[in-house]
Amino acid sequence: MSSELEHLARGTAELIANADEREAEDAASRPDEPSLPPLQWLKVNLFSSVLNTALTIVFGLAGVLAYQRLLNWAFSHERNWDAVRVNMRALFTFTYPSSQYGRIWVTLGIVLTLAGLSLGLSRMVGQGVSLKRISIWCMAWGGAVIAGIVLVQPHAKRSADGEILLDADFEPVRESFGTAMADRGWWWLIGVLLLATGLAIWVILGDLKRRKTFVGAIPFTLGVLAFAVSTLWWFHWGNYGQQGDIIEPGRTVKDSAKLPWTAMWFVLTGAYLVGRRISATDRAASVRVVVNLSWLLAPFITFWVILRDPQIDYAHVMSTDLPMALGFMIGGGALLFFLTKPDLGEIGRILGVGLFGIAIFNWVAAFFGIYPMLQKARISFLLLALVALAAHNFAGERAQRLRFVYAWAAVMAILHYLVTMINAPSTVDAPDEFVGGFLVTVYIAVFTMIFSFPLGVLLALGRTSTLPIFRVLSTIYIETVRGVPFITILFFFSTFLNIFLPDGMEIEQLAAAGLGFALFSAAYLAENIRGGLQAVRRGQYEASDALGLSTVQRTGFIVLPQALRVSIPPLVGATISTFKETSLLAIIGIIDFLRVANSVIPGQTVFLGVRMEGLLFVCMIYWIGAYSMSKFSQRLERHLGVGEN
Amino acid sequence: MTDTQPSLQLAATAKPPFYRDATFVKWLVQVATLVVTLFAIGFLAREAGDSLRAKSIQTGFGFLDVDPAISLGEGIDTDPATGGRALWVGMVNTIRMAAAGIVLATILGTLIGIGRLSSNWLVAKLASGFIEYMRNIPLLVHIILFFVTIAVVFPDFGENVDPVTGEVTQGPWNGVIHVSNKGFSVPRVHIEDGFYQWLIIVVIGCFAARWISRQRRITRDQTGNETYPLISALGVVAAFGAIGWFIHPIFGFVGDLLFAPIRDLIDATPPNLVQLLLCVVAIIAAGLWIKGFFDARRTPGDSAKLTDDDWFRVIFAGFAAATACVVFLVLWPGLSSWLVNSSRDLFDVLANKFGEGRGNIGDDPPFGVSMPDIEKRGNFANMGPAGLNLTQGFAAVFFGVVLYTAAFVAEIVRGGILAVPKGQTEAALAVGLRRSTMLRRVILPQAFRVSLPPLGNQYLNLTKNTSLAIAVGYTDVVQVGQTIFNQTGRSLEVFIIWMLFYLACSLTISVVVNFFNVRLKIVER
Amino acid sequence: MSFSDATAAVSDELAARDDIIICDSVDKWYGDFQALKGVSATIKEREVVVVLGPSGSGKSTWIRCINRLEQHQSGRIIVDGVELTNDTRNIEKIRSEVGMVFQQFNLFPHLSVIDNISLAPLWVRKRPRAEAERLASDLLERVGIPEQAEKFPGQLSGGQQQRVAIARALAMEPRIMLFDEPTSALDPEMIKEVLDVMKELAVGGMTMMVVTHEMGFAREVADRVIFMESGEIVEAGTPEHFFTDPQEDRTKLFLSQIL
Ligand SMILES: Nc1ncnc2c1ncn2[C@@H]1O[C@H](COP(=O)(O)OP(=O)(O)OP(=O)(O)O)[C@@H](O)[C@H]1O
Ligand SMILES: [Mg+2]
Repeated sequence: MSSELEHLARGTAELIANADEREAEDAASRPDEPSLPPLQWLKVNLFSSVLNTALTIVFGLAGVLAYQRLLNWAFSHERNWDAVRVNMRALFTFTYPSSQYGRIWVTLGIVLTLAGLSLGLSRMVGQGVSLKRISIWCMAWGGAVIAGIVLVQPHAKRSADGEILLDADFEPVRESFGTAMADRGWWWLIGVLLLATGLAIWVILGDLKRRKTFVGAIPFTLGVLAFAVSTLWWFHWGNYGQQGDIIEPGRTVKDSAKLPWTAMWFVLTGAYLVGRRISATDRAASVRVVVNLSWLLAPFITFWVILRDPQIDYAHVMSTDLPMALGFMIGGGALLFFLTKPDLGEIGRILGVGLFGIAIFNWVAAFFGIYPMLQKARISFLLLALVALAAHNFAGERAQRLRFVYAWAAVMAILHYLVTMINAPSTVDAPDEFVGGFLVTVYIAVFTMIFSFPLGVLLALGRTSTLPIFRVLSTIYIETVRGVPFITILFFFSTFLNIFLPDGMEIEQLAAAGLGFALFSAAYLAENIRGGLQAVRRGQYEASDALGLSTVQRTGFIVLPQALRVSIPPLVGATISTFKETSLLAIIGIIDFLRVANSVIPGQTVFLGVRMEGLLFVCMIYWIGAYSMSKFSQRLERHLGVGEN
Repeated sequence: MTDTQPSLQLAATAKPPFYRDATFVKWLVQVATLVVTLFAIGFLAREAGDSLRAKSIQTGFGFLDVDPAISLGEGIDTDPATGGRALWVGMVNTIRMAAAGIVLATILGTLIGIGRLSSNWLVAKLASGFIEYMRNIPLLVHIILFFVTIAVVFPDFGENVDPVTGEVTQGPWNGVIHVSNKGFSVPRVHIEDGFYQWLIIVVIGCFAARWISRQRRITRDQTGNETYPLISALGVVAAFGAIGWFIHPIFGFVGDLLFAPIRDLIDATPPNLVQLLLCVVAIIAAGLWIKGFFDARRTPGDSAKLTDDDWFRVIFAGFAAATACVVFLVLWPGLSSWLVNSSRDLFDVLANKFGEGRGNIGDDPPFGVSMPDIEKRGNFANMGPAGLNLTQGFAAVFFGVVLYTAAFVAEIVRGGILAVPKGQTEAALAVGLRRSTMLRRVILPQAFRVSLPPLGNQYLNLTKNTSLAIAVGYTDVVQVGQTIFNQTGRSLEVFIIWMLFYLACSLTISVVVNFFNVRLKIVER
Repeated sequence: MSFSDATAAVSDELAARDDIIICDSVDKWYGDFQALKGVSATIKEREVVVVLGPSGSGKSTWIRCINRLEQHQSGRIIVDGVELTNDTRNIEKIRSEVGMVFQQFNLFPHLSVIDNISLAPLWVRKRPRAEAERLASDLLERVGIPEQAEKFPGQLSGGQQQRVAIARALAMEPRIMLFDEPTSALDPEMIKEVLDVMKELAVGGMTMMVVTHEMGFAREVADRVIFMESGEIVEAGTPEHFFTDPQEDRTKLFLSQIL
């Protein structure tokens, strides 16, 4: 375009590998390529040209220096890693009463069971991890450990009563190099073991075998997890306590965590194996449906954790809540059963419109305060009217209609259960912020994904609709939300939401924040799903129209299934974003685990000002979570790319 | 043969009842949704009004003109006289960070993205390690980490202060740059009175440069000689800037001769006239839209063929215009007087700015430089207002945002390069292009075209992400806003200002990115 | 020669049948481009009509107007006694009376073959599931691929996919079938298997409107051939008439190019 670009381009040309080597980084995963002998590998990959040699030397030196500094920092006597160990419970559950931990374990157990079953049942195919990669991985880590042992400066000498000895310049006196090397026995063992394992795999197996033997990705992950859990059995991982006070001095993380975590591992593995077993039988499809539906129960589970033992007012439940729920379930169900009669014609639609009109009037009445009524009755009635409007699309034989009615009843049951539970106060005496730490992170992330998804689908449909008002409304919403930073929306919900609510209606800060998260991420989900909708070809619409499917049927049976399948990888991406965004809770004063690390721990008298350690721990947890999700999504993408149909 | 009409006696078409008319039903559903939405918004607004009144919280934008009694950590004015000024300082801080961040993140990201594709194994691994580290950890955590690291790594500000003189003796270039755990202080370049006149000359220079570069490009295309159009254009702008440095007072007249009369004219305009004008504009806009709509559907030889659906659209356009008129005339009469006042103020400011710098030729340079200074507040030394102070908070947010975005930019750049099909390389080599020519003429342009839209998205994200500054106390617009609403209780108003500001930023970035996008497409065609 | 003459010339028996599709000076604009210019034609029950014409002449537009995938702007279309208007009830009725087969098959890729076929009977005709699936496997038998029921469209060859598409359209038990270049996206050896199915349908007495470039099919099966150009019907007649003795210059030119 212009000559000025040329210089830049010429420089880039040197840097960018030539086209054939572009995917060189994937070469390790490409099993067809034979491994080069080590020396030749070095020559090709590190010293192929003068420029490359210079780059290797510069970056190699910089890397080694940075590594040394990092280790020196991490293993310095100034670090206080106890701050993390002692606060393990605070980081993960904050002040959640330890007598109630059973709830968390049960919840986790249920989730892991579902996860194991889903993984076992999934039709994902893939090669997994080759032994070659495992070998390289072992050798690299072994090498890194040994290099670290040599690079780290010797420990500071301590006097008999544990004081650091200082020299004339107030620098700590260091032990001799020999003593330091001898002190690091365990590390030597780990490094050498890793290196030896890697080398053994490399040397014993031939090149071809190395490349062609694969460990399935899930078994591999389970193995790594097994190793992590097993460390709980032979390493104490330090004492723990709450709020910085070591409440049970003798008790270590090992003592309290090894049994539950081992149980969790077995639950996951067992569920996975069962899933595998079932997937080979012909019941796989129906079990898959059941498992997928069970995931929808996640809100039940989380609320059970959050609420501990809700103090239910049984008199009110018996006199009001239960009859109302049953009324909507049975009465509404009967109405819907009638409305799904195959040849009802326009009567059904007119009935639906009438019902909808009443529902709207119901809200108008609320607006003018004409007659009072429980909000949940209004909401349920509006839902009933909406479903009734769409009912004729689901008409069919008796079994078909009954399924529809059952689905309605289930939705009503869940809705009324949740509303009743949320309104009930908790029986367990606990501080106000009873959920905190990592628990709140996970809770908000799950809540957000569950509630923003349907809204995102609706917004995406609205934005791609041919009806101008729907399109304009959705576009305004999506673009406004996407145009402003999340933190402002979060402020809005956590501080101003109560202003907008009718008298006497209050919403807790956490719930308000959850709502903000859901409404915010819905706009982003909508954009992802819109991408999927645009990938559905026009012919699909035309074919459905030509068959006489109604708009609702076309959307539900033809368009959405295809669009969502395309949008799965971006949706996983959105989940990762949400997971990371939960860190903003710390800003609006909810004590998530970033806030525990950043403000709570440094405020404890024992660990005054100790901040970096906790922050790095938080980094690690976030990194592991986000990285494993992104790897999972990459696999998924490859899998979908292969596409069985 | 023309006589293809079958001689049919068809029964007259029966109009279906309204509830079975597809168009009617479609619009009924839409209008119902619209009404329900408006009703819901109205409901919430009414509740908000009630609660605010019940809690006797004051509302309105009056706080913009009142002394907020806050002092800001950094910015163009650390002691703003009004709430509006304070928010403006925050906005400038946000814009400053976003603009610098976008440039730096693009450069860094491109380098890292290319590094990931390098044939050097080590470079590729380091680049991908950086990317995986940055993007799998929340930005907020990065920012806090940087914040803490700066406090630990850089020398303590208090340490090197001479207890007697209060002089600070540290920094790579003492008196020019200070580096400490409170941040950095560097010389500040600020605009002086002559700036606005000078700007006019530069703008003229830009037009001249545009013309010259076009001429040179034409010459190049005709003769085949390299004429360096871009460099000559830059040269022209620089020349205008340099000459303008000395002669800019010649443009001092625009203040009195142009802006002052406009100000007076606006001042003399009665608000009612403005109301009418606004209505006329709304009606004309709707009219133009409807006319365009008719034109698009006009068929040759026939008048417009409008379906019922089209008629509904036309009705809605008219309806929107009518609503706008009602708003202008009845519901919000203050709007027009606000418009009058603020545009009067704007031109007043302009007139004054141009009036001030109207000295002799050679006076009043457009820019000035002030060196960092150290102040003692009480017993503690601190960075004074003279230098450009990049506080610890600024540095933390800036590095956090830049490195975080760079990781995403790197992935986009890499994706863009990989997205160019292999066939392109082969084709280019087959016609005998050299490798560097191929990269320049074939690969990079295509890669850039693929990367531009997602890059634009990242720029938007970067701008929005600067709002995390609130976690470390950098005074961006969100932080200032929050301070103000904590003090005045004007939460909704502040929220509206935030929203408008960020929407404006987003819009600007989208427009710029789109401009290049369109240009690129034309170039590529 | 007039259009009604052409119909009369076919046979008196055909002329005596009821009209099932009536188009009366149908106009269709895309923006300011007129794709159909006063198209008028009647199609009799159990008649097979082949529509020919150069690319862009409006063939697809016309047959897509007949089941209201496109809306015409003026003129009238009456299918099986039901006029195509904005009346939702009429649109529903037409859609289930008229089956359509597309050039690009447009099978639903996420549904198995049997689900593709039973979808409409199940949800539009409201048949019980068992019955819908029985109907689907009968139809698969009829189009000659009963063994592919559980596969997904992506796993079938083009010819098989098009036969599934025909079965899917037939599952609604339509009285009229519209085909828009059903064989244009197929390899030569697959064309025959699809044409065979279509011939069988024609023999079975289905009313069919077929846009195709398969002249053999037109000669053998069609009762009438309609030739369109730039949105107008130029000529219509029996295949013998049309291919051996075309009246219009434009027809002659077209035939000389393709034959
Ligand atoms: N959605 C549309 N918007 C604008 N113009 C269109 C649209 N669909 C078709 N046309 C135009 O209408 C004319 C008739 O198109 P049509 O698809 O009916 O032709 P055809 O006879 O089926 O051609 P072919 O043999 O190539 O399928 C063409 O000129 C086409 O460009
Ligand atoms: Mg066509």
